[in-house]
Amino acid sequence: MTRILDIAFKDLLQLTRDFKTFMFLLLMPVLFTFLFGYAFGGFSGPSDSRLPVGYLDQDDTWLSHALRDELADSDVIRLDENPNRTYPDLELLVANGDLAAVIIVPDRYGATFLKGKNARLIIIADTSTTAWTTIEAEVMATISRLDSAVRTATILEEIDAERMPFEYAFEQSLEAWEEPPIAVVETTSSAVEASDASSGALAHTSPGMMLQFAIAGLLTSAQVIVTERKSRTLQRLLTTAARRFDILLGHYLAIFTLIFSQFMVLIAFGQFILKVNYLRVPQATLLVAFCAALCISAMGLLIGVLARSEEQAITFSLIPMFLLSGLGGAWVPLEVTGETFAKIGHLSPVAWAMDGFKNISIRGLGFESVLLPAAALAGYAVVFFLLAVWRLSAAEEK
Amino acid sequence: MTNSPAIEVLDLQRSFGDTKAVQGVSFEVRQGEIFSLLGPNGAGKTTTISMLSCLLRPDGGDAQVMGHSIREDPMGVKSVLGFVPQEIALYEDLTARENLTFWGKMYGLRGGALKARVEEVLDVIGLRDRAKERVGKYSGGMKRRVNIGVALLHKPQIIYMDEPTVGIDPQSRRNIVDSVVTLKDQGMTVLYTTHYMEEAQELSDQIGIMDHGKMIASGTHDQLVKLVGGQTRIDLTLNMEAGAVLEDWRAVEGVTQVSAEDGLVTVLVDDSNAVLPRLFDVTNRLAARITSVDILEPNLEAVFLHLTGRALRD
Ligand SMILES: Nc1ncnc2c1ncn2[C@@H]1O[C@H](COP(=O)(O)OP(=O)(O)OP(=O)(O)O)[C@@H](O)[C@H]1O
Ligand SMILES: [Mg+2]
Repeated sequence: MTRILDIAFKDLLQLTRDFKTFMFLLLMPVLFTFLFGYAFGGFSGPSDSRLPVGYLDQDDTWLSHALRDELADSDVIRLDENPNRTYPDLELLVANGDLAAVIIVPDRYGATFLKGKNARLIIIADTSTTAWTTIEAEVMATISRLDSAVRTATILEEIDAERMPFEYAFEQSLEAWEEPPIAVVETTSSAVEASDASSGALAHTSPGMMLQFAIAGLLTSAQVIVTERKSRTLQRLLTTAARRFDILLGHYLAIFTLIFSQFMVLIAFGQFILKVNYLRVPQATLLVAFCAALCISAMGLLIGVLARSEEQAITFSLIPMFLLSGLGGAWVPLEVTGETFAKIGHLSPVAWAMDGFKNISIRGLGFESVLLPAAALAGYAVVFFLLAVWRLSAAEEK
Repeated sequence: MTNSPAIEVLDLQRSFGDTKAVQGVSFEVRQGEIFSLLGPNGAGKTTTISMLSCLLRPDGGDAQVMGHSIREDPMGVKSVLGFVPQEIALYEDLTARENLTFWGKMYGLRGGALKARVEEVLDVIGLRDRAKERVGKYSGGMKRRVNIGVALLHKPQIIYMDEPTVGIDPQSRRNIVDSVVTLKDQGMTVLYTTHYMEEAQELSDQIGIMDHGKMIASGTHDQLVKLVGGQTRIDLTLNMEAGAVLEDWRAVEGVTQVSAEDGLVTVLVDDSNAVLPRLFDVTNRLAARITSVDILEPNLEAVFLHLTGRALRD
């Protein structure tokens, strides 16, 4: 057991010896995220990074007021209310990028909603943006909260009145979900992107960037093993009392420490500078980062074991780096790429990590929402690690 | 120093695909002696030594290293063993002291004992005052010394050295050869591989000659040399036609064979010290004059040539 720690400590010592590489690993992502941010229009400052969303209430019932109150409490959208604006005004504001979207509560919305019929909000937005994904998720979540509250109340009332059996009420409430409770009016303007950059957009690209950089850690991880082999110290380790499994686990621990620290730096950076709310449920974000780091380091280990040379290690790292982060939605969110692609995308561990981070930072979900992504990542980690152990034994015994 | 075997190798075999790298090698190394495996490139020396250090699984046969079977008890084997690989196997971005400390831990040393032993080894390899420098900045010879130092950390009973002198300057080679002798003097058993005949000759108590995965001969230097009749070859030139002396030289006591070619006379003798004066006497009586003498003591090169029909180095 102590040998595992000795090997991990030795690896980290070696990595810090190469000071430039070490700084590169930790600071480059931060620097890059900044540059990216400026390229897209700079920061709006630490004031309010929530997305500005117009709100027009044509219904004016207690229900539409309740909806407004719920949305006003949101962590990700900031309601911009002005009853004097007309529909065309609002459309223009979205087109110009002053608003990320507009939510219109049509006349009779409350009444339809309460009857359990298919009540629909009208939303003006550019659906090709990440901001839209965020807003959509937030509005859906709010409506569903509202809906369950209303249903519960209705059912209770109905049961009390013994007018309708419970099953019927339940089915009715399920039916209501068949069709989304919002209707979207698309704008083709690129305006929302501009609004993206001016406020929260940087925050919304942060999880993707973070994973992009974490997965770039594959390069370093694989090098740790390749260097060990190239310097012939791997063979030599095998002539000592250290076991193959210990050696691999030691390297794994070192790589994991490195990648996990990278996550910590980037999460801190995202939280305090970009104002992404990663730490809304800190233990959830930490769990996702932990499992993502386990997964990426195991992949790095496997690549290191497979690669016969430094060049191979680089090639073997670059391919999954781009493939997995592209597929996994680190560049373009899977929410906007359609269902089929999203399914394929979830073959990539990056997709699971993105889900985990976004569930907390953007979608406003609770700790349970990261359990599945974390389990998927941990599962990948185990598979990669076992493959690495198997390949190493096979390679040395050839 | 007892005479029970430190290493007992029985019919070891190993193939790589169609290449039979080692085909049934057997030998015995007694405690406290230096045993050299001598053979040309590709003879199977590294494959043999890798199997004896449990890095490679044998296809057939077995070996006991200080009583531990390489098949049944690899960890037991590794615990009595120090291994100096042919190529330097160190972390170049760590200092000599850090390297030794790390490897000491891998051999299971801890705490005060480890610290003390690292300093001892630094003294042995003469690098204590440069222990704080990174190994990557060392000269080739210094790296070699650290490379050997690592294998000494856990005071192994046996040390394997796989071609430790390949590709280094004569002075460093001298250092290493001397240090091997020192290790033997301290009671260590050494298994050494080389394709330098002179090294095997100088160092070894026993020599095993390998070729094409087989042990073609083994024994002490003298025993091996007897295989070629143990005869010394003397090459001479004369100031006249060689034909004139051949008959008389053949008759000289201690001469077993005389032949001449292109003015060079080759004489095989049992003992050059005894025979040479007689050759000079006979030549004087014939009024001839010997203009050059070259004495070629019997060596392993000749043995190899005798056994395989090929030169050891080509
Ligand atoms: N891992 C391997 N895979 C395939 N063939 C191998 C492997 N290792 C050795 N061989 C082959 O086995 C034979 C013996 O090789 P080995 O390395 O044991 O020779 P050696 O005596 O140590 O030679 P050298 O003096 O060049 O180090 C050679 O023909 C070599 O090509
Ligand atoms: Mg060799």
